[in-house]
Amino acid sequence: MPSPVLDRAWALAPQVSVRPEPFGALLYHFGTRRLSFLKDRRLLAVVQGLADAPTARAACTGAGIGPAEIGPYERALARLTDTAMLEERRP
Amino acid sequence: MEKTAAPTAPETAPPADDEELVEEDLLVEDVSIDGMCGVY
Amino acid sequence: MSVAIPLVEHFARGLDAPICLTWELTYACNLACRHCLSSSGRRDPAELSTAEAKAVIDELERMQVFYVNIGGGEPTIRPDFWELVDYATAHHVGVKFSTNGVRITPEVAGRLAASDYVDVQISLDGATAEVNDAVRGEGSFATATTAMEHLAAAGFGGFKVSVVCTRHNIAQLDAFKAIADRYGAQLRLTRLRPSGRGADVWDELHPTAAQQRELYDWLLAHGEGVLTGDSFFHLAGYGEALPGLNLCGAGRVVCLIDPVGDVYACPFAIHDAFRAGNVRHPGGFAAVWRESELFRTLRGPQAGGACAACSAYDSCRGGCMAAKFFTGLPLDGPDPECVKGFGELRLASVEPGSAPKPSLDHSRPATAVPVTLQRRRPPDRACDENPLTLTVR
Repeated sequence: MPSPVLDRAWALAPQVSVRPEPFGALLYHFGTRRLSFLKDRRLLAVVQGLADAPTARAACTGAGIGPAEIGPYERALARLTDTAMLEERRP
Repeated sequence: MEKTAAPTAPETAPPADDEELVEEDLLVEDVSIDGMCGVY
Repeated sequence: MSVAIPLVEHFARGLDAPICLTWELTYACNLACRHCLSSSGRRDPAELSTAEAKAVIDELERMQVFYVNIGGGEPTIRPDFWELVDYATAHHVGVKFSTNGVRITPEVAGRLAASDYVDVQISLDGATAEVNDAVRGEGSFATATTAMEHLAAAGFGGFKVSVVCTRHNIAQLDAFKAIADRYGAQLRLTRLRPSGRGADVWDELHPTAAQQRELYDWLLAHGEGVLTGDSFFHLAGYGEALPGLNLCGAGRVVCLIDPVGDVYACPFAIHDAFRAGNVRHPGGFAAVWRESELFRTLRGPQAGGACAACSAYDSCRGGCMAAKFFTGLPLDGPDPECVKGFGELRLASVEPGSAPKPSLDHSRPATAVPVTLQRRRPPDRACDENPLTLTVR
């Protein structure tokens, strides 16, 4: 199913600091001063893999997330794009 | 058909595609950087 | 894909590094606010050197502390203030500094507006000079206003105007919002605690029960975009929780580093009972944060004690430990401003004068309160009796 989030290439915004935690990660954007909490370690792996993946969907696959489970990850990534934590990567 | 007597138990929610569950299942939560007590 | 443990529970158990923290750079201050949580006024001879302060910043960078709230006393009167702010931002530690505005000249405001990583918080405790200066001293409203004018003129959008809510300014909430709007700033309303000199004026200045309800209702109705530093989590007992983590962050996600390098659970708890260690000891700040006995205790399960059976306990979590401590209440009981009135009841059996006193007092001797500010020549730097009292033009 085509997705505006999953089918594009993304990267963490340069002003975002990622702090892994046992339960996920903290993300802080130095420009917007927004703080986000990732509640899942695999989501952290997806986010960290975005910069090198052709699409977000590929980053999810790389993190071991199959199509059946991808829904919540797609919603999470969409949220991160809404809050400018992620920016679109243009080839 | 509406039940009229005792209140009905809520139906089991459909799987994760249901909009109502999205917020609860969201793997990202935003917290204000000012939202921690102990910083003046 | 549901989450087993709520976010707030992860925070209550403590993290490997603070998310943010308060760092009081100096006990010196040009003002003598009646409620000062750090009993500031005079510089302490043992304050961290510039090199020691930079070593702390290096640690904060390694630990990925996202930002520090630099305060005091009045931090901008430390000669190395700007050097340290620049060092912090160059080392990936965001800075917000709390100031009474005394050094925010147009030039300084311009520099700040040009920096992405420095936020400013102006302290203001009255929407009028009459109300403000009664607590912060004559001329302090003018100083703050001038600073805000300079920041606004320099295009610094979104600086913070931070208010300590008292009996005398609860009626001014709309006016505070108007002030913040006028200068393009963000309003921040915070709780008065009986900490530092605050203990001496708490009976007189803390909001009445009715005013506390008024404040809560106002925040629910008009508080969109108003910050609170999560300082009203004890009001969650009324019903709907206000935005924020709604938990005591002390020793868990935040702490205080004081001017002599002592680490306390939070800035409202400057007392030996809440002192976790000192950054000058081996292992520095990281060792204190990760290994101190005090913080380990705070990160464990907390005894609800008398409160555990109350229906509001899950929301208010027993309130503020500093507020309880400095009013002589037991920590496993109600907050002095418990919304159900249990704190007030419990206070009645506290023996007058028995509440713990702050461990430190850097207040300047004063013969009268409020302090009258006078224009002086810049003092000899070696003299720490008379911090600069220059008013900004």
